Amino acid sequence: MTQTMVINVNGQDQTIEAEPDSMLLYALRDNLGLHGPKFGCGLSQCGACTIIMNGVALHSCVTPLAAAQGQKITTLEGLSENGKPNPLQQAFIDEQAAQCGYCINGMIMTAQALIERKPHASRDDIKAALQGNLCRCGTHMRILRAVERVTTPQAQQGAGQ
Amino acid sequence: MSAARQIPSLARRGFLQATGGLVVSFALFGTSEAASSLLPIGHVQNPPDAAKLYAWLAVHPDNTATLYTGKVEVGTGAQTALAQIAAEELDFPVDRLDVVMGTTSQTVNQGPTYGSMTIRYAGPQIRAAAAAGRAALLEQAATHFATTADNINAKDGVFSVKNAAQKTITYGALVAGKQLDVTIGATGAGFAMKVAPQAKLKDPKNYTVVGRFVPRKDIPAKVTGAFTYVQDVKVPGMLHGRVVRPYGVNATLISVDESAVKSIPGFVQLVRRDNFLGVVCTSEWSAIKAAEALGAVLHPKGPAAYPAKWSDWNGLPAMDDIWNVVRAGAGKTTAVANTGSVDNAMGDAKRTLKATYQTPFQMHGSIGPSCAVADVSKDRAIFWSGTQMPHEDRHDIAKLLGMQPDQLEIRWFEASGAYGRNGLDHAVADAAIMSQAVGKPVRVQWMRWDEHGWEPKGPPIAQDLAAAIDDKGKVTAWTHHMWIPTFLDTTLVAAALIGHPNRVGSVGLGVPAITYAYDFDNADVTSHGDGRVALRTSWLRSPAQYETTFAMEAFIDEVAAATGEDPLAFRLNHLKDPRAIDVLQAAAKQYGWQPRAALGKAPADGKPAHGRGIAWANRDDSRVATIVDVIVDPASGRIRVTRVVVAQDCGLVINPDGIRNQVEGNVIQSISRTLHEEVMFDRANVTSRDWIGYPILRFDEVPDSIEVVIVNNDPKYPSYGAGEPSTCPTAAVISNAVFDATGARLRQLPFRPDRLKAALTQS
Repeated sequence: MTQTMVINVNGQDQTIEAEPDSMLLYALRDNLGLHGPKFGCGLSQCGACTIIMNGVALHSCVTPLAAAQGQKITTLEGLSENGKPNPLQQAFIDEQAAQCGYCINGMIMTAQALIERKPHASRDDIKAALQGNLCRCGTHMRILRAVERVTTPQAQQGAGQ
Repeated sequence: MSAARQIPSLARRGFLQATGGLVVSFALFGTSEAASSLLPIGHVQNPPDAAKLYAWLAVHPDNTATLYTGKVEVGTGAQTALAQIAAEELDFPVDRLDVVMGTTSQTVNQGPTYGSMTIRYAGPQIRAAAAAGRAALLEQAATHFATTADNINAKDGVFSVKNAAQKTITYGALVAGKQLDVTIGATGAGFAMKVAPQAKLKDPKNYTVVGRFVPRKDIPAKVTGAFTYVQDVKVPGMLHGRVVRPYGVNATLISVDESAVKSIPGFVQLVRRDNFLGVVCTSEWSAIKAAEALGAVLHPKGPAAYPAKWSDWNGLPAMDDIWNVVRAGAGKTTAVANTGSVDNAMGDAKRTLKATYQTPFQMHGSIGPSCAVADVSKDRAIFWSGTQMPHEDRHDIAKLLGMQPDQLEIRWFEASGAYGRNGLDHAVADAAIMSQAVGKPVRVQWMRWDEHGWEPKGPPIAQDLAAAIDDKGKVTAWTHHMWIPTFLDTTLVAAALIGHPNRVGSVGLGVPAITYAYDFDNADVTSHGDGRVALRTSWLRSPAQYETTFAMEAFIDEVAAATGEDPLAFRLNHLKDPRAIDVLQAAAKQYGWQPRAALGKAPADGKPAHGRGIAWANRDDSRVATIVDVIVDPASGRIRVTRVVVAQDCGLVINPDGIRNQVEGNVIQSISRTLHEEVMFDRANVTSRDWIGYPILRFDEVPDSIEVVIVNNDPKYPSYGAGEPSTCPTAAVISNAVFDATGARLRQLPFRPDRLKAALTQS
């Protein structure tokens, strides 16, 4: 039978009926309708499913739902307030740092966790943090610039010039 | 090689085995929030009449408007660029103009979205429709104010009577919610369709929206999670399907032991038709477990070791032999260039150079595996799909199901970027078959191994080149023969698996994808196009031209090095195409190119060596020249591209930042293809089944800079394509830079460390 589980997502306790051996990604997407985290590989190889749990960026496709009970989970949707993008999301808009955008959840969530840990992260820090996140469109340069808008705002550059 | 069949580091499997199949889920949607995100199913409608204004435009009472186009967004920003074109002609604020794309009931078939042809061909169609729309609305405004159209100004969605400041009306108020039932005319179909032939177009000198930076419409929702990709579509009553593909490409399904999955909580039905096998469950997790239980991950124990037993089919060629198989194809020979007498010149030559270039199967490698939702009932079928060709798919899927196209509707939602025809169309067919079998809407999500294994690949290509140099150092002859399997295959995997009696789609023959523009006196450039070789193929970004440009532009470099000439000067001396010369010179200027022949010396003491390379291409009338700097580490065999300069002439630019974004993307993706990418296979099937088996570029290899120079952005040129051209020169330019740095010539993709080390020992 399904099991009733409570997970705390974006500041709210959510009661979920699901298989306890299932992965957090499917609970977020299918039970809670949170489509920020994406299914990319199910193998912890691409980062499209990244969420933040207790301040740490994690791949939700290999995080058992049972292990997420009682933890504080943030998804891409949880970064913005009343639909207003947070500073990092706004930086991605300002740099036009997306093409298809399917990987961007993972880029933003991984970078957000880095920024919370290290607000003035260097370019090398950012690259190292994002090393596990794949982007097939080749938006890497813009993603780096977008994160740097937050970590080193004095070095800002704009798109469209 | 066969060891690659095993999926490594399957962390999830540990949990699966630990917990077994002990629990049941009936709850599809846990909260009202999720339930409210269900999309309505509704009814099927045919596409609108292209000759009517309402097929292209709607103006709403709140003075917003909608542009309808049969083209789709594939991550390139075409949606925003097409909106700019329409807003420009309509004199309407681009930020108030929404764009509906692809859905067959709402849009006109403007041809598939591929080949960097959206702005080039759909742009003029939309431009004319919008101009006709403006003229029609202007007439209406003149009637409203009891004056003549030439006495009305149109600006930012507002009509005003000249010299009467108080007499204004918004487009929205004027239209008052009515459908724009105006005949504007349309002839022809698809790319060649002419829309509103009488429309008077704006003089490009007066453009204020076209050619300017306009932020992409899709990005805010994509970075906040509000965007609905096809992978996010949910409809009422939807079940979850997974495919279980054959172990070997053409293996037959011997038997399926249903008892292996019946006890999985949430299991609904196995769908078997001949060699097609799918599983339908109430939840994604159940479907994943059921498919895995049937052997969907292609475990290393072999074709008959799991409850779905396949015949032991081993009909693929050996990987090492693939180019011989490609050459043996009895296809169609096409002369690209044939001037003078190559044989005579080769005979008279003081020196001849010869080289063979080989490129492997590569894959699209979408980050999100293909997905589709289908709701098939007896007399109609509705699909939610991210296909690049919704209108064509409507016909193909109708054929698959034995229905008429007007019984089908495809509702388009953007997917993860595909860069050509990946598995998206095939997922539609899979969902169609599963939904038809269970009589309910079914969402089919390919797993990573399904996408890597079964997306159609870019084909392997073999190329032989030769050049003759006379006693004065002049190049007197040039030959380039290329063997290109098809990349035009539109047949559906599922149609083949169910043994569909009628052909669905077509296979085609490989076509010459090259523009030869050099002026050698004697030249023979010939393409040998073939059908399918080994694996199903399709268009992969700059189809075949990335590969042919690699051979042509690397061999040009070999010839320039043999004659001791600067590789830029050599190209300029042998080109007459002014736009090719423009991009080469623009790239050289941006780079700061100093004339010298390639050094080509082995690095001293095995220390990292620096080199530079140049190459260019003409891809469907866009010209692009690329220069790179590389660092080659002989010890590790690794190549790093440090600086990239691209000069691109794609004619009149709609959105300059859109061009830059596309060039940056093409450059990084093609560096990845050049350094890393080769689809591995054994005699049964593809063995590159995940990102470890098919690695792509990561952040540690990103260049330090990519500089983009836009050339000939002038209304005297039409807008050509920007989505692909800058992929073409990359393999050549890196090969040339590696030669400059080390003297090693790399003629086989990808430039893996083992290949570089081998080439270094030969140089």
